[in-house]
Amino acid sequence: MRIPTIFVLILLVLSMLATVALYADFQSGYYAPVGASSLAQQTPPKLSLDADYEVGMYPIYPALFPSGDGVTEVKAYCNTCHSPRYITMQPPLPAAVWTAEVNKMVNSYGAAIPDDAKQKIIEYLQTHFTHETRKRS
Amino acid sequence: MTIFSRRVLLRSIGAGGAGLVLAKFLESVGEPLQEPTVGRNLPSFTGPGTNPFWNSVGPMVSEPQKAPLILLMDRPVQLETPRHYFSSAFTPNEAFYVRWHLDGIPNTVDLKEWRLRVEGNVEKPLTLSLPDLLTKFRSVSLAAVNQCSGNSRSRLQPRVAGGQWGNGAMGNALWTGVKLRDILDATGLKSGSVEVQFQGLDTGKGPEGFGSNKFMKSLRLDNPVVDECIVAYSMNSQPLPMLNGFPVRLVVPGFFATYWIKSLTWIRALDKPDDNFWMKTAYRVPDTPRGTTTPEEVQTGKVKTVPINRMPVRSFLISPDGSTKIPAGLPLMLRGIAFSGAGRVSKVQISEDGARSWRVATLGKDYGAYSFRTWEMAWTPSHRGTYQIAVRATDEKGNTQADDPVWNPGGYLWNRIERQELAVGSAA
Repeated sequence: MRIPTIFVLILLVLSMLATVALYADFQSGYYAPVGASSLAQQTPPKLSLDADYEVGMYPIYPALFPSGDGVTEVKAYCNTCHSPRYITMQPPLPAAVWTAEVNKMVNSYGAAIPDDAKQKIIEYLQTHFTHETRKRS
Repeated sequence: MTIFSRRVLLRSIGAGGAGLVLAKFLESVGEPLQEPTVGRNLPSFTGPGTNPFWNSVGPMVSEPQKAPLILLMDRPVQLETPRHYFSSAFTPNEAFYVRWHLDGIPNTVDLKEWRLRVEGNVEKPLTLSLPDLLTKFRSVSLAAVNQCSGNSRSRLQPRVAGGQWGNGAMGNALWTGVKLRDILDATGLKSGSVEVQFQGLDTGKGPEGFGSNKFMKSLRLDNPVVDECIVAYSMNSQPLPMLNGFPVRLVVPGFFATYWIKSLTWIRALDKPDDNFWMKTAYRVPDTPRGTTTPEEVQTGKVKTVPINRMPVRSFLISPDGSTKIPAGLPLMLRGIAFSGAGRVSKVQISEDGARSWRVATLGKDYGAYSFRTWEMAWTPSHRGTYQIAVRATDEKGNTQADDPVWNPGGYLWNRIERQELAVGSAA
């Protein structure tokens, strides 16, 4: 007797479910969708044979900053020598430490930040990046 | 017509539960059915308490010539090596951590133009091409650990500003190149030379005369380490990755990485001590045992400091890493690494009770005094529970790890005994 294809398919599906049920006796499993990693694979570079050793551009990964007074100054001035990610990488720090850090940038590292901008930067950092004010993201 | 039996039918009805879960999943792609127990992202920062994780918490990123590493900074580049790469004595180049100070770092080096310049208080200044280094000097190889001064900075309490490294700002490589002393002999140091200064290709946007413009480090010529330094053109028998200092970098065995100038291009003999920012102001540690002090002491302004130099002894458990539950009674191997800037690691001890009682681990192959030394110890967790595995190393000079934390304003020299919590579940 010829068995219609549809029955074969049903049989396959049912046997699959049966297997699942069997396994369900001693383990349970499911897949949970989570955000896919942003780590794309890179194509191998094309290499020239001259004396130039080149690796291409280093990527920038912009950090997220809470909006508020002073954010423009932070993004402008703190971006000169290093990306502002240096700020978001830090643990929450006391207000006095932020004042000292900004002063260190000006006095020890020679950052050319006008006084009023410097004050705004300090206040912004104290408003968003101390123990009391930093928000978990 | 019955092709399937009653039993199979019943079984398939019984499978409805599991089938439903599958079906529900298929319906709801994009929305987890429940909070998954693994795969949750780390927080984007830690603190004000200590960073509880082995590594720092940044996202994994791809950078040129590198495997995915943990991002601390994109500009200047600072990347941390994930824990599992330390399961062998040598750290792969593509996984080796990265730390630059200034944002103007090379992504192209033209070897037609590039020369290592030896200048300053010398008899005969030299300009050496890579072929000069490869053919006119004898080549030496040495295994040595390169560790950032601020490795494990995120452990400090209270937390200090700076790169928030976990434990992965370190690596061990076989460095091959030319002895610094051979280069100094070829150039001829003039009398009155007291220090030798090193500068690489990195430049910053800060004004001339500030640390934000140039990064330079110096060693006193009477320091015995000068005779051990190598100008390395090879790392683990490969060219150096650009981010680790292509074409050559200075290797200062036993010393913290701040001296290991990348893309080394200037070697300068000085007739007076270097007072540039990176020697006089930065990378200094309290002149106290273990370089530790307190915020209160610092406030008094009376803490005497010295330039950071040799690395204290450290050791780590690499596997198991605590991410997997272990069934009670299952025999396994504890494995890790140890090193010291003062000389060979002579002993590694393991505690399963949070540093109360200790057992001696077996040391792996000895690749030299400045290399990572692997260790292992067979261990069977006897019963269900939470174990605090602690690791403590001792070096040939008798230095051993203490259980007290270290604190200094730079966040340097952390070498407290490491602990790892392991969850041991019921086996039946």
